[in-house]
Amino acid sequence: MLTELETTLLGVMMIIIMLGMGSSLTFKDFAIALRKPQAIIVGMVCQYGLMPLTAFLLATAFGLRPEYTIGLILMGCMPGGTTSNIFVYFSKGRLSLSILMTVCSTLMAIVMVPVTMSLYSRGLEGEWAIPPDQIISLLFVLLVPTVIGIALRKFNANVGAVLELMGGVIGVIVIIFLLASWIPRNWDLLMATGPIIYACSIGLGLIGFGLGYFLAKNLWLDPIRARTISMETGIQNGPLAILIVAMVFTDERQQLVLLIPILYSMFIVMTSTVICLWYRKITDREVIARDNAKIGAIRET
Amino acid sequence: MENPERGQAVKPWLSQYGDHIDEMLSTPSHPSLPAAMIEAAEEYADQIAFTTVMPNGMYGSLRYREVDEMSDAFAYYLREVLGLESGDRVALQMPNCLSYPVCMLGILKAGCVVVNTNPLYTPEEMRHQFSDSGAKALVIVDLFADKLEEVLGETPVEHVVITRVPEFFPAVVKQITYGVMKYWNRAIPAHNVQATRLPTALEQGRKAGSGRPDYYSELGHDDLALLQYTGGTTGVAKGGMLSHGNLLWNLAQIRAMTAARMNPGEEVVLTALPLYHIFACSVNFMTMFLAGARNILVPSPRPIQRVQRAMENYKITWLTGVNTLYNALLNEEWFVAFPPKHIKAAAGGGAAMHHAVVEAWEEMVGAPLVEGYGLTEASPVVCFQPLQGERKSGTIGIPVPMTDIKLVDDDNNIVADGEAGELCVKGPQIMQGYWNRPEETAKTIKDGWLHTGDVAEMDPDGTFRIVDRKKDMILVSGFNVYPNEIEDVLSRHGKVLEAAVIGVPSEKSGEEVWAFVVKRDETLSKEELVTHCRESLTGYKRPKKIEFREDLPKTPIGKILRRELRDEVLGG
Repeated sequence: MLTELETTLLGVMMIIIMLGMGSSLTFKDFAIALRKPQAIIVGMVCQYGLMPLTAFLLATAFGLRPEYTIGLILMGCMPGGTTSNIFVYFSKGRLSLSILMTVCSTLMAIVMVPVTMSLYSRGLEGEWAIPPDQIISLLFVLLVPTVIGIALRKFNANVGAVLELMGGVIGVIVIIFLLASWIPRNWDLLMATGPIIYACSIGLGLIGFGLGYFLAKNLWLDPIRARTISMETGIQNGPLAILIVAMVFTDERQQLVLLIPILYSMFIVMTSTVICLWYRKITDREVIARDNAKIGAIRET
Repeated sequence: MENPERGQAVKPWLSQYGDHIDEMLSTPSHPSLPAAMIEAAEEYADQIAFTTVMPNGMYGSLRYREVDEMSDAFAYYLREVLGLESGDRVALQMPNCLSYPVCMLGILKAGCVVVNTNPLYTPEEMRHQFSDSGAKALVIVDLFADKLEEVLGETPVEHVVITRVPEFFPAVVKQITYGVMKYWNRAIPAHNVQATRLPTALEQGRKAGSGRPDYYSELGHDDLALLQYTGGTTGVAKGGMLSHGNLLWNLAQIRAMTAARMNPGEEVVLTALPLYHIFACSVNFMTMFLAGARNILVPSPRPIQRVQRAMENYKITWLTGVNTLYNALLNEEWFVAFPPKHIKAAAGGGAAMHHAVVEAWEEMVGAPLVEGYGLTEASPVVCFQPLQGERKSGTIGIPVPMTDIKLVDDDNNIVADGEAGELCVKGPQIMQGYWNRPEETAKTIKDGWLHTGDVAEMDPDGTFRIVDRKKDMILVSGFNVYPNEIEDVLSRHGKVLEAAVIGVPSEKSGEEVWAFVVKRDETLSKEELVTHCRESLTGYKRPKKIEFREDLPKTPIGKILRRELRDEVLGG
């Protein structure tokens, strides 16, 4: 269970994260991106097509119990996380595409999360269902700081940029804070949890990285964009899923549903770090190869 | 105005001055640059003078009053704390940032001479420039202090002041920007140079003297203001000696050409070109400062995306650039989607503008892109297309007021009407000479005429057209081929982003034309280009070899370095 203090803190931090995310963009950026929407469309297909489906198939394949299934599917249906922007920056990917995908998927979440949730959690009616209206109202509340952030960026670039940075940093702090306070209290539960639950929590992110990359690559996007979409797809908004669970389930059911979102958030930081370093290496290698090709062309003449 | 020394019997361009350009300018009334700039600073005291915009939109600003007060403090620091004297050289080595105008004005107020230095110089180039100019003090940005450490001991520089790109930004923003540069980008190297931080220097200056310093009160038009190094791309860099009078005159000349579209105190100018280059220094900084404009400084415009936030967040009314900068902007999605709405005029110079670029710009932005011509030795402006009336694209326009031009052949005889000849300039903006190089000076300035090394033609109405650099001309089987013409044809092809053309020795024809092309569209093939050239160019002008490149070598302001391509080809 999350304590009341933890839930409130999580809510406040979520608002700051959304404010920061909004501050990373201007309305013009959207308009510009929509002129050549291929990359964004591919990204959204990954985000709301592949990820929920992956979560659903994983849950079905491993025959997860409903309380875990709902947690995993919820995780799969989440928009992109703001931490993905930091990882994309470090991996030398396309930061602008990453920010745009995060914001687009967050804005679309108000429609796409209820739709995908109700599609994949059919059969889970009853005590484990997450009512769509609750998701909608929560996402709606979070849209307000996002839009305020966008307006602030336009009004004063300094305020906007500082908020953007704060949002990114707090995104990481939230995860660390939750893990640090939740894990010790639930050590026994973690020990008792079977390997399948771990596999699903870790696998969702890893499969997301892979599918995002291959779909983008096969749709003729260049390798850097493909790697950016890959990271964006794999990294979901973990804190948001935790917040939704905490708001919807206020009794002992919360504990069970929370397990996969928390495990996902914990492991995604590690897997993202590894993937990020790997992508960074590939990018560096490509740059060197291009330079060598140029030198080669000079020598030939 | 009759002048017996000139060859062109009349000045046909005068008829184009019309009502909006003053033919006769009176001698600038201010005795020195600081005197003129202090007057502007007092008049526009509460207005914003400079805003530095980082690529993510973070910014810092200084008002005219603040620039004035800080530069007073810097003048006191130089004279009282460091003990410099009138005429001592002080080098400035930084990208566009708020420290630049503060230090520049401070040095001039101290009666000292500014040595503009390219921050991207190699240690060897730094050593040459500091030694040659005899600079006693240096203000350098922290990004390059490690290069300084290598050569400082071999130069006459005794005092080093260090500044930062986000200097004078609001505290939180400054710390974040600096932190990102230092710890995230690792752009700020460690060094062991004994140096004073600029804010500390200003504090010491404030303690050493108060009120308006009067070191500059004895300066006159003949006193040296600026040592502007040039010729770095062709050999050893020489210091062009620009006096207070040269610069004040050129500012008046630029003002005369732009007055029709300039509202004092209301303009916003985008400065993406580096201020250490004479074009931005005179046109963007000094001219606009005297006009009470707000100057939007971009520390580094490459890649061009770094200009996006500066363009979006401010209502830019004027901007300056070179062909490559305008071309790059026109190829940016964000620029094409939302072209700036408030531009009154854009000025291009430094290298020939291409027709395709000018046409596309004017159609998209709806304001003229006027092309001009200048060189370091002329402070720098010599010619500009007039802002009113008919403009002829592909020309450098007409001489600015009080400037005379003649075109001569190799024997220094004036060429016949309509013929191409070396462009020679006479006017009050022509430099005093090259620093400590009387022989070079004598080769360049003959009887008061500055020989530019550029080949030009004059239309009957007095409009000039640069044909090319004299030394870039390619001689194919005895025919003159000018790279500019071929590059212009190549870049008119829709799939070409930019192109450079050089001459390469050939057994058959003496020299032959080679082209280096950067693709805009990956599908472009050599065959397409050959066909395209066949349509517009006669046989000997067509490139014998076309090579595709990812990019082309350029100078810091974006001029394409043909010489470097030639060296690559001949050396490899």
